[in-house]
Amino acid sequence: MIPAFSPFLAVRYLLTRPIVALGIVGVAFSVWAMLVVDAVFTGFVGDIRDDVQRSTAGLLVTDLPHETSYEQLQAAIEADPVVLHTAPRLRHYGMLQALRESRIPIASSEVDFNHMEGGFALLLGIDPAREMQVTGLATWLPRAEKVLEQKYGRPILNPQTILQEPDPERLSLMKVPDATEWTQRERNGLPHPPTPENFRSEWPGILLSYRRLPILPMRVGEPLDLLSAGFQPAGQGEPTVRTTKVALAFAGYFATGHRLFDETTAILPIETLRAQLGQHISDPGSIDIVTDIAIRPHDGLSKDELRAGQLRIQAAVQKLLPPTSKPCSVLDWEQQNEVFLNAVAHEHSMMQFVLFVVMLVAAFVIYATLHMMVVQKWKDIGILAAIGGSPRGIGLVFLAGGLVIGTLGAIFGTGFGLLSVHYLNDVNDYLAREFQVELFPKSLFDLPRIPCRLETSWAIEVALGAIFLALLVAFVPARKASRMNPVKALSYE
Amino acid sequence: MTPPVLAASGITKNYRLGKQSIPVLRGVDLAVQQGEILALLGASGAGKSTLLHVLGLLDQPTTGEILFDGEPVQNLPVRERARLRHSHTGFVFQFYHLIPELTALQNVMLAGMMTKSVLQYWAIRKQARREATEILEQVGLADRLKHRPSELSGGERQRVAIARALLARPRVILADEPTGNLDSTTADGVVDLMFRIQKERNLAFVLVTHDEDLAQRADRIVRMKDGVVLSSAAVR
Repeated sequence: MIPAFSPFLAVRYLLTRPIVALGIVGVAFSVWAMLVVDAVFTGFVGDIRDDVQRSTAGLLVTDLPHETSYEQLQAAIEADPVVLHTAPRLRHYGMLQALRESRIPIASSEVDFNHMEGGFALLLGIDPAREMQVTGLATWLPRAEKVLEQKYGRPILNPQTILQEPDPERLSLMKVPDATEWTQRERNGLPHPPTPENFRSEWPGILLSYRRLPILPMRVGEPLDLLSAGFQPAGQGEPTVRTTKVALAFAGYFATGHRLFDETTAILPIETLRAQLGQHISDPGSIDIVTDIAIRPHDGLSKDELRAGQLRIQAAVQKLLPPTSKPCSVLDWEQQNEVFLNAVAHEHSMMQFVLFVVMLVAAFVIYATLHMMVVQKWKDIGILAAIGGSPRGIGLVFLAGGLVIGTLGAIFGTGFGLLSVHYLNDVNDYLAREFQVELFPKSLFDLPRIPCRLETSWAIEVALGAIFLALLVAFVPARKASRMNPVKALSYE
Repeated sequence: MTPPVLAASGITKNYRLGKQSIPVLRGVDLAVQQGEILALLGASGAGKSTLLHVLGLLDQPTTGEILFDGEPVQNLPVRERARLRHSHTGFVFQFYHLIPELTALQNVMLAGMMTKSVLQYWAIRKQARREATEILEQVGLADRLKHRPSELSGGERQRVAIARALLARPRVILADEPTGNLDSTTADGVVDLMFRIQKERNLAFVLVTHDEDLAQRADRIVRMKDGVVLSSAAVR
């Protein structure tokens, strides 16, 4: 039972103390911050996860031994009921340089392994036709056109049609149109027939990330050199280093949205990369080597079904590998990006913790306010006891004070939080337009709008958490009040 | 024979001061009958106020018994003692002890909220307001209902305190130097009021004072010194 005098007196005490407003504002601010910052962060994290998923195959067979053949494993993998399509992948590394810049020496100090400004690239060899069945490769090119248009405010690229090539052989090598390569050969002073009529493209194509545009601005068909190296067994003694160089034609820019992938990766035909590694298709002893096999599982599978499929595929692949080889892995998209996603989740948790600390500060303000109130109302406590107030009822006066502060703060904070989330982009646009101040610089993230996702459950948790915290800190002064000796309280001056 | 409405038997009260135990009451016996005005007379430090607090269950005796209508009450649970403080006794203090944030009417109404839940009080709120208003009218404060204590004179504040003590219809009023903070004219008015209401309601009245003249208006005077009752005599 809550005695009637407790809330009656609590409200009147609060109304006569302006400092109470500080407590309410503190709670409201912390609730507001927790909702808005978390909504933006959740939006970013959600987008990041979407981008990562977009750049990743549903399942990936990896950790395969050297010189594993795709053909050797394909049938076994595709026999599994969860598998819809597979695609071979070959990963390597190399350095890219536009032919027109070839006379400029690149010093080792200029090689930037983080942002690839020196031309360093992680090479991903793909079979385009198969890759398009497994990942969103076909959408990566139009996405780059859109992102660049948003970034520069005008169309930067013509529609990229390299992956719409009807000839399977030309598609597999991502060859640019014949006339395009001929024009580029002429422009760059490379061997070419006098007229383009009978000319056939020779250079395999390469897709670069749109992020390389500022450092490697290319026209479609423009030649560039790919230099790669690898160790090669050399009979007895130490292995020799084998370097290879191949001319490629720039075939287009791609954008998955996954920054790490986009910044580091260049996509080229798998046969070209195999040839670089000494497995030329025309060589009778060559094998269709892969480092990974990307899998597109059937749609609508549950996590458990997918997990069971992973185990079956791993067992089937392992059976076909040499007995001495290490266990291969079959990873879903989250496992493939486990470190990155864990880092993002960790950052999210840390951010929530920091915001919780803000709320703790607000809670401390409530505590200080109520504690001060207990001290100021020392005599009142004695009066209440003298006219029949129970210790519990007296404590409830101050607990009710905390409840009122917490509830009002939670209501205002949630209200402003919801409004802020709803109008965040409008406010950001207004500030940028009128005052050249961007709260969230969209250009930094290449985003058309600030992603903002406010989970209802989170809003409820935060509001209830704020009220609970206010009650918790109010408990201490309330307990102090309820335990006060009424005679001492009455004689307090 | 009807038991006294309030009685104390063998009451001692010691306060601790560091390792020392200081006796304030040393075996006090006292009985107050229904409708009786009893004056506790003594110098400062005689133990009058302490005895009043013990009688009103605000303080626990070290030893001895407090009896309400013949029933021992000093060992009841805290909540029950609070309930009895509300329904059986009413306090009037020298310094009024009103809640400064509340108006005169709210201060009186507050006494009615002590033992009722929010819902119970909500159901009777209009009646409670009416009763509080009536009592304030009885003590002559009909035009001061919405004034806060800081806007009232000393005499008016004491009248509010009396009204508050009367709201729960207690059977005993415990008044601790009720005129000690008032000028003589105002004090006379307050005393007249208290005694008039005492007669009207047939209340038991325990009046702590060191004012011999005031004590002479009581039915009986109990003289105290050093925590002991020296004498108890009816006033002619």
